[in-house]
Amino acid sequence: MADVTLTWPKNYNEVPKAAFTRSDLYADEIKRIFHGPEWHPIAHESELPNPGDFKTMRMAGIPLLISRDEAGVVRVFYNACSHRSNQLETAVMGNKTEFECPYHRWLFNAKGDLVGCPNPREFLPGFDKADYPLGQPRFELFYGLIFVTFSAETEPLDEFLGEAGETLRELMAGDGRLKLLGYQKVRYDSNWKGYNDNDGYHAPLLHAAFKMLNWQGGKGRQYTCTKRGHVCFESALSVASGPSVLKDKELIAFKGQDPSVGSRIVQLFPTFVSTKHLDVINLRFATPVDAETTEVHYAYFAHQDDDAEMVRHRLRQSSNLLGPCGLISMEDASIFHRIHIGSHTPGNAIFQKGVRDPGKLESEFLQNDESGNLPRWEYYRSAMGFERAEA
Amino acid sequence: MTATIPELETAIDRLLLADANALDSKDMPGWLANYAEEDQASYYCRAAENTEHNLELGFMFDDCRARLEDRVTYVNEIWAGTFQDYRTRHFVQRVSHRQVDARTVEVVSNFSVFMTPMDAGVTQVLAAGRYLDTMRLSDDGGAKLLSRRAELDTSVLPRYLVYPI
Ligand code: FES
Ligand SMILES: [Fe+2]
Repeated sequence: MADVTLTWPKNYNEVPKAAFTRSDLYADEIKRIFHGPEWHPIAHESELPNPGDFKTMRMAGIPLLISRDEAGVVRVFYNACSHRSNQLETAVMGNKTEFECPYHRWLFNAKGDLVGCPNPREFLPGFDKADYPLGQPRFELFYGLIFVTFSAETEPLDEFLGEAGETLRELMAGDGRLKLLGYQKVRYDSNWKGYNDNDGYHAPLLHAAFKMLNWQGGKGRQYTCTKRGHVCFESALSVASGPSVLKDKELIAFKGQDPSVGSRIVQLFPTFVSTKHLDVINLRFATPVDAETTEVHYAYFAHQDDDAEMVRHRLRQSSNLLGPCGLISMEDASIFHRIHIGSHTPGNAIFQKGVRDPGKLESEFLQNDESGNLPRWEYYRSAMGFERAEA
Repeated sequence: MTATIPELETAIDRLLLADANALDSKDMPGWLANYAEEDQASYYCRAAENTEHNLELGFMFDDCRARLEDRVTYVNEIWAGTFQDYRTRHFVQRVSHRQVDARTVEVVSNFSVFMTPMDAGVTQVLAAGRYLDTMRLSDDGGAKLLSRRAELDTSVLPRYLVYPI
């Protein structure tokens, strides 16, 4: 029985706008989805390449500490002291092999063991340090991409990823041996679903750049997989030709190999988006902050085998092409905000392009179809326990 | 020409204010005109957090004059009509400077930028941080930006960016 109810339209291509705007859904989404049986990517291990490197972040409010110990092993902890849950580490990244909580001076090593605490003789009778390591959520790595889940019920990560795993591996340069270039972090005034429904790939009409740069989209495939409706794109890379309004053409140059499937996008339920476009490798770690705010950390990468010139090229391309002020994606950011505002109106958002039969869900789509989002909406509906109206 | 310290400070402040004025007026050619006519003229905007961890990636990485010119094209042509426009107000304050040679001075200044989206009309802080500038001095006592790094304390932007900071 659902804690909150929302009647879903009978047609698969219709999404009630209230799903984006009803703030009473949010607590239930956190419980059923974000703290429920889903995997959430939170970092790539190349963000902490050296022994002692760590990163902190919050996923759906839960503070996490990802650390690499002296032996090189990566672990995920709750970023909270095992005594009274004081936030343990305040830096977003750094290098430490010991974490000391300043409140009552409990000291933890990078394996999460409690290695010291003052005056334990005054504690509960029988107090044993071994009973108080840092708490840990379940986590798994996939080619270095670190996923957490806050539910014991979640299936193994491989099953969660399904066919998307292969596209994701290829997107991360085939082997996940990445090198961090840096971050662009931003908050959007959008419900997390408004962000996720509109990030990733969409038809190029929004972007005047494509026309002005004589840059046609390549031919490609869009498919969805698993019951969650993860969306994947694999397309040929097209390189702009003909006259261009840009003076620095390097911005849209392709220097990698394999243009035949040079462009890939993987969007995992609920909020993760990743893309490899031209020579940009971009993982977007996104989390809801509240019902009307989504925070996205765009992390950009090179490959460990890149020479200095290629790293430089990726740096120049990554900074200016994608993200919250990128040449071909700043407009996307404005759409997240505007969809959120516009959805405070009655009725349903009605998907059109690629919908052949509103009574059916498909799993193969054309590149520019918007119907690729529909399996994910169906999963959201069922995860929330919302009833679909009778046909 | 050797400028006296008050002359130098006047030239620096004129340039800082001219840049703030161009940005707040959305005058992109005027913004470009504050940069030196040299191929290596550059503008970077990135979170100080990245810099502190030796991560060069930024929000804007215009490392040559051609890219500065392209940024004028992004704003005035490519993006026109696709975003929620907003007003900005830049507050800039020089905090230190060091003359490198007769033609070059390094300047550090603080900035804060208020933003008012045209649709919502509610003012908020867009970003705070420091400009790390290298300025070219000309014989007539003027100054131009050879390179500017807008280093943002604001590691998480409250909004997407259209205009340079
Ligand atoms: S809360 Fe950390 S030592 Fe007490
Ligand atoms: Fe887009």
